[in-house]
Order: sequence, then C-alpha cells, then structure tokens
Amino acid sequence: MLMASATYRIPAIRVTLTEVFTNKTPTDAYRGAGRPEATYYVERALDMLARELGMDPAEVRRKNFIPPDAFPYQTPMGATYDSGNYEAALDAALKASDWEGLKKARDEARAQRRLVGLGLSMYVEVCGIGPSSTLPMGGWEHAHVAIERDGRITATTGASPHGQGNETTFAQMLADQFGVPLDHVTVQHGDTSIAKQGVGTFGSRSQAVGGTALHMAGTKVKAKMAKFAAALLEAHEEDLVFENGTIAIVGAPAASLKFQHVAAFAYVPVPLPEGITEPGLSADAYFEPSNNTYPFGCHISMIEIDRETGEPTLRKLVAVDDAGVLVNPLIVEGQIHGGLAQGIGQAMMEQAVYNADGQLVTGSFMDYAMPRATDFPRFELQSTVTPTPVNPLGAKGVGEAGTLGSTPCIVSAAVDALSTFGVKHVDMPLRPEKLWRIIRGGRS
Amino acid sequence: VIPTAFDYERATSLEDALARLSAAGGQGKVIAGGHSLLPLMKLRLSEPRRLVDIAAIAELRGIREMADTIAIGATTTHHEVATSQLLLRLCPVVAEAAGTIGDQQVRNRGTIGGSLAHADPSADLPAVMLALDAELQLAGPDGRRAVRAQDFFTDLFTVDLGDGELITAVRFKPTRKAAYAKLYQRASHYAIVGVAAALEVQGGTIGSARIGLTGAGSHARRLTAVEQALEGRPASDETIEAAAQHAGVALEDVNADIHASEEYRREMVAVFARRALRAALART
Repeated sequence: MLMASATYRIPAIRVTLTEVFTNKTPTDAYRGAGRPEATYYVERALDMLARELGMDPAEVRRKNFIPPDAFPYQTPMGATYDSGNYEAALDAALKASDWEGLKKARDEARAQRRLVGLGLSMYVEVCGIGPSSTLPMGGWEHAHVAIERDGRITATTGASPHGQGNETTFAQMLADQFGVPLDHVTVQHGDTSIAKQGVGTFGSRSQAVGGTALHMAGTKVKAKMAKFAAALLEAHEEDLVFENGTIAIVGAPAASLKFQHVAAFAYVPVPLPEGITEPGLSADAYFEPSNNTYPFGCHISMIEIDRETGEPTLRKLVAVDDAGVLVNPLIVEGQIHGGLAQGIGQAMMEQAVYNADGQLVTGSFMDYAMPRATDFPRFELQSTVTPTPVNPLGAKGVGEAGTLGSTPCIVSAAVDALSTFGVKHVDMPLRPEKLWRIIRGGRS
Repeated sequence: VIPTAFDYERATSLEDALARLSAAGGQGKVIAGGHSLLPLMKLRLSEPRRLVDIAAIAELRGIREMADTIAIGATTTHHEVATSQLLLRLCPVVAEAAGTIGDQQVRNRGTIGGSLAHADPSADLPAVMLALDAELQLAGPDGRRAVRAQDFFTDLFTVDLGDGELITAVRFKPTRKAAYAKLYQRASHYAIVGVAAALEVQGGTIGSARIGLTGAGSHARRLTAVEQALEGRPASDETIEAAAQHAGVALEDVNADIHASEEYRREMVAVFARRALRAALART
C-alpha cells in the first residue's frame, strides 16, 4: 500500500485491501515482500490505460513520471521518495533493448502468425530500512572497526549476510577508505559473541544501513590513526593521505609511513601524542537512517507463445536498475540475476496448488515448477546511478529489485502477445494450458 | 522421506543377481540408477526388504551393434544413450528422447532398463520402444525370454516382468526416419504428452508407420488409428496433418492432473503426433 504511487505523480490514491483467513500453508515475507504486488497492479493498470488510449506503454509512463526536480517527493500514501530520475532509467532501457527495433520484430513475427509480445515495467523499491520510528526493533545498524597491531583491519557488522556478498562489499569499502589491500580486511558477522549489537539483514538494507555504519566506524578510527601518523611525521593530520598501504603527506610522497607501522605505534605510543588520551585503534558506530531509500528501474521483455500448445518462451529480458552508488557492480548483477529468476518464475510457472480437500498437491519439486537456467535468455543488464542523500555512501540497496519489474513486464508481454484475441489481462502464472484456452477461444 | 529398512547387495554377474533376487523370496527389488525406485521408497510406496544392485555388472551395460540390430544394455545411463555416436548415426530418435529426460544429473544416474521396468505413465522411453517395435530381453529364474514392447507395457506402472525377472537389454532395428516430440511438464520434465514416430517410406509413399504415445494414459501405447491413416499414402505434410488431427479424440483412458486437463492432453496428442511425424519425415 505504501508503494501504490509507484513512479508516478498521482494526486489522490484510494486503495482497497481485502484480508482473508486461510487454512492453507502460511506465507511470510518473500523477496520483495509487498513491493512486487504494488508494482504489479500499478504497472498492469498502466498497460491497460496505454492500450485503451492507443499509446506506446513507454510514453504513457513518461507522461506520468514524478519529475527529477520534485524530489524529495511525498506520495499520497506517506512515503517520501529520496531521489529519482525515472525518465533516465526508461530511456536507458528503451535504448538498451532497441525498443523500436523490438516493436518492428514483434510486428514482423505477427505477420507470420507468431504470437510475440512486448512488456515494459517501471518499478520503485523501498530499501535501506529504515528510521526507528517505522521499525519496532529499531532501524539502525551497528558496526565495529578495529585496526589490529599488525595493520590488518577487523570489521564487525550486525547486518549478517547469508550469501549476498556483503563480506566482499564491506571489505572493499574499508580497503578503499584506508588505502590497504582487500585481503587485509576481515569481516566478522553472525556470531553473537563477536557481533554484540545488530538489527540484521532484510529489506535490502545491508549496504545502505550496515555499510554506512561500517563507513562511520571507519571514519572515526581513521581520524584517530591520522593523529598518530601526524605525530610521527611531524605533520598536520589534515595533510595526510592513506594510499597503497602507506600514510603520506600530500604532495610529499617521500614523507610516508607504512600503514602497519602507524598501527603498531598506536598500541605502544611512547610518548602518547598530544591530543590523544588513550592508545588503540577501534571504534563503534550506530547508523540510523533518516529515511528509507527508493531505488528504481525499468524492465523490458519479449515473449513468444506457441500457438498450438500455449507454451510461453521468454526471448529477451533487459533490466535497467538504479540502486544509487554501486560498491561492487558484479555482486549487484548477481543480486539482480537472482531476483529476475524469482520474478520470472512467479510470472511464468510457480504455483502452489491445493485440491478440494485442502491437500497440497504441489508438495515436491516434481510438481512445483521452479525455473531452471535453461528457461532464461541471457539477461541484459544496465544501471543508472542516482545517489541517495540519505547516507554518505549514496548507496540505495538492491537485494529485491529484480523481483519487482520482471513480474509485471513478463505478464504484460504475454498479454501483448495474446492481444489479437482481445485479451486485456491474464493472471499469473502463465501456465501453457491457460494460454492455450485463450488462443483456442480466440479461434472459434 | 525415510524408507523402511532394507538390505543392500551388489551383484557381480547376471547369475549372481538372479540368485540373490530368488533368495529374497519376492521381497527383493533390482536397483541400478535408483532414480525411479528411491523416490518411491522414500514415500514408502515401495518397501523392498532387499535391494540387489546390478549397476556394476559389465554385461548389462553398453550399446552394441549386432548384425542389423542395436542392443542397449539395461544399465546404460540416459546420458550414455543421449550422447551415443552409434545411436546418433543410426537411430537418432533414441538419443533424442533420452536427452529430454529430467536434467543432466538425472540422466547421469537413470538407466534405460530402470525407466522401462518402472513404466511411469509419463516416461519418455516407452514411447520410443513402441515406435521402434523393440524387443525387451529378460532373464529370470526360468531362463531367458524376449517380449515385444507393445506386449510389455500392460498398465499403470505394470509390465510383463515376473517375480525374480529383470531386463537385460532392449534390441531394435535402427532407423533414421524416426523422431520424438514432447510437451514438457515444467517441474519434473516428464512428458505431459510424448510421441515417438517411426516411418518407412518407399518411393514417396509411407509403407509403414509406428507411433508410440506416452503421458496421455495409464501406460505407453501405439496410436494405431493414426498409423493406419498414414500407411499407403503419399509421404507429405498433408497426409500427416490429416492423419494426426484427430489422434487424441478417440483415445480411451486419458489422464487429467494439475499439469493438464484431459481436454488439453487430447489436443496435445494431435499436436505432438504431427510434430513427431513431420520431424521423422524430414530426417534423411
């Protein structure tokens, strides 16, 4: 409901929700958790509008975007979008997919009686959760950074990753901050005897909130380390630069100290430099964001449906995602690949089926269809970068983005492919028999 | 999820396997790849007391050309069948169908004999064996015998295989003019409908046709009405179209499940019969 405004300037929004009790298997937050649903309904509605008006689906969206100069933008649903440039993402996706060329290819295929359709979807995410006023357990994240006596860095985070790759991105950030090799940074997490405080990883918050907490702890330690180095170099701490494993005076690289030399000195500071009251190099930080972040993007797909069997095949998928500043683009791509696979699986095949007695009949992966790598084309990914003002990294978060745009854009492509039969909407998943019935109904 | 307790024995020769099966007194099961049997055991739909593993018996494995026939040993894996240069050259339909089974991990373990003996109603290979008029070679306590594929598959998970008997090989006359087409069940990759078609064409006329169907009913069967509508007619797309279009209409005992209704399956029988026949005709 919070995200019902999507990427559009909508003056007034009315939402009706129906809650139901069910004795089916309970479900809980699934990748995207609420945002895919909001995106799906708004984007499907815009496609219906485009069809009604005879407009290109890209253009109907362009006309209704929240413009870049309107941020921070308060939606009627109560969200305050931090930053955005939706038209840039749309244009990047149109260009990357060769939208006009795709339309031509679709029309040529249709002339040969092939059922080919295009789908386009915008999305806006809510990530980097969030202000403590919105979360009962607190919206902050904790970090601890220590420079060990040998110059190695130990970082501890409460945003404990379980496969997202944050050990790498967190280490990269700190290695950059201190000008040391990546393998000199160890990231610790997941053990409550080590990570004393933490809220956790969820809601695509690890980089934007946990990463910022680490950056803040790193900044504190770096300031203290600069004082030790300044004393040894007889320089001003503002004149120091941390690079290539050294701490040097700007403009005088010959006057430099090895990073580990300064680290060792910090633990045996004889004499204790002026302005420093205790030895050691470690700091804690808590970061509580003033707002969530709102990443966004545009996904485009092409689908072909077998006229005889109803089987849909995904021919093309282009995703342009804007997650703010990217720490590690490769890891971001991996997150998007996984999200796309889940979103496409939901749109095309996944379905929990119960029989009339309430028995789950898709109780194993022999009957519950999960997508395989062979069900996908090569994903074509691009990114635009609109930094968030909410944190000093400018990073917005990306963990769930792939599930938002892909699902409506797949269904829209299928509806477009079936438009010759007067179809305006098809519910997920796109099971072959369902599509076959539409095609067959259209024939008679 | 946990099978009932069982003994496991690895047989060293065919004679050894037969002796061990006999000794199990009807409580034994043969295992090779285990890809059909183990899931059933985990669901306790099958509760053998003794498993006799035949996977290590050399004489049961491999693909051999013998005079004008090809024999595939029972424990030959789907992967070995799918990638056999001999089959791809002389009888590509078998390799083609084996390559559509499950996924690579399944094909690395599952065996042709296991698939045929298990006779899952949606398994791919029974349809191919019917189209090739293959002969299943069996060995048991009373010696050896051979059964034609069309007599072997008798009902749901039911085949002409006696107590203590096992499949040693399948044998068929190779033909290049045969093809397999299937509608995949997207979760398991079993066939919702699978059709294997083999044609003999002489001088532009279809001399004989054999069509095996799987997935539609309780067990694999021939589409004899379609075969008859092809025989003696010109080898053309028009003949195929006319013969196949009603292929599903008159079938008895057509399955319906969450993956496909009876109505859809009947229609898909016609679609995939046409596709298999066209592909067979196109092969040279």
